[in-house]
Amino acid sequence: MKHLSRRLRLLAECAPIANVKAPDRRMRSAVSRAKRTDDFASQQSFDRALAKLVQATPVSREIEEWFANEKMAAGAKRSWKKTAFHPAILAIGIALVVIAVVAWIQFDEQMHAFPGTATAKKLLNVAAMTRPSDFEPVQAEAGTLTDLFFMKYRLEHYDVPREFSQQRTIGVRKFDDDEAGQVGQIGLAEKRMQLFLFPAPQDSKTGKPEEFAGWRYIEQEGWTGAVQVHNGILFMAAVRGTKKDLAPYLAKH
Amino acid sequence: MTGEAPKAQDIFQDTVREAAFLAAKGEAPPNRYWFFREARWRCLDVVAHGVQAEEGTKKACEISPHASEQIEQLEPEQLAIWISAAPEPQRSILALYYLDEFNYREMMSMLDLKLYEFARALASGRCEFQAWLNATLPAAAEE
Repeated sequence: MKHLSRRLRLLAECAPIANVKAPDRRMRSAVSRAKRTDDFASQQSFDRALAKLVQATPVSREIEEWFANEKMAAGAKRSWKKTAFHPAILAIGIALVVIAVVAWIQFDEQMHAFPGTATAKKLLNVAAMTRPSDFEPVQAEAGTLTDLFFMKYRLEHYDVPREFSQQRTIGVRKFDDDEAGQVGQIGLAEKRMQLFLFPAPQDSKTGKPEEFAGWRYIEQEGWTGAVQVHNGILFMAAVRGTKKDLAPYLAKH
Repeated sequence: MTGEAPKAQDIFQDTVREAAFLAAKGEAPPNRYWFFREARWRCLDVVAHGVQAEEGTKKACEISPHASEQIEQLEPEQLAIWISAAPEPQRSILALYYLDEFNYREMMSMLDLKLYEFARALASGRCEFQAWLNATLPAAAEE
């Protein structure tokens, strides 16, 4: 076996005694090459003779009795419960659950996303920071402010939907935002609700405002907004609370 | 491993008893390797108190083509005594290898050895046993 490479020679030295299939490809390769040598044949013959002698070792009757049931040494199979509670399996399971939850949250957000979601969320932050003193005091019905926006600020179609048009206002203001453009903000007396009107984002191909049907909800840091688009203008009613606080207004119509 | 049947029998029974004890606690041995590992450690513990074998000489040697005929003249007890007198880990390697129950990967795993250590110890074990055979059965060797 001297002409074999060092690794193959090492493997050939541990070759299986019986004519069984070698456990791996390297061993099969080593045995296959070593078989061409005389000294490997002597080694195999030597090993087989020794193994035969070992098999002939007398075993006491007491020990033979232990082996009456050969399943004794088979070892215990892990139950599925034990396997499931193995720390590695448990860690993988927890990681998969976390990944699934994050994926579900992202999928859910995508499902409820609408053109202008990012801007609407930003304006919810503005709502959270606006104080009543920031408004120019105007006490009227919200629906009448359409004319004010047009006459004073030249903002067309800044219409308050009829769901909120009867609400009494405490003030109004207009400001420019980098993302939203010209924003009309109305403060309401009820629940310190705030209404926002701003241009809907435009489709990059057609240049037309992107629209969607019905009301969409967004939530941000304890504030909830109900958003609708009409005539290329997004309207958002914002309130500190949850969907339940806004639902009664939208259900009226 | 021990060279003495009563000691080996005690170790065997202690190992099986330990397995039964673990099984009763709901921590049954995971596989059959456990039995061999456990028995080996018990053997090493027992023989640690006795006379210790010296490292063999690492002389180059050739396995005789007539070795199998020489071996046929031996009694199993002679082989057992010879293996039990080998130094560790060669003793464990020879004992496991000639049981002809495991492949080399399983044996290396059970004994926590690398291929080089395993193969070298096995090869030198063969040489030393051949030398002992030649010394013990010179007539057969000359034939």
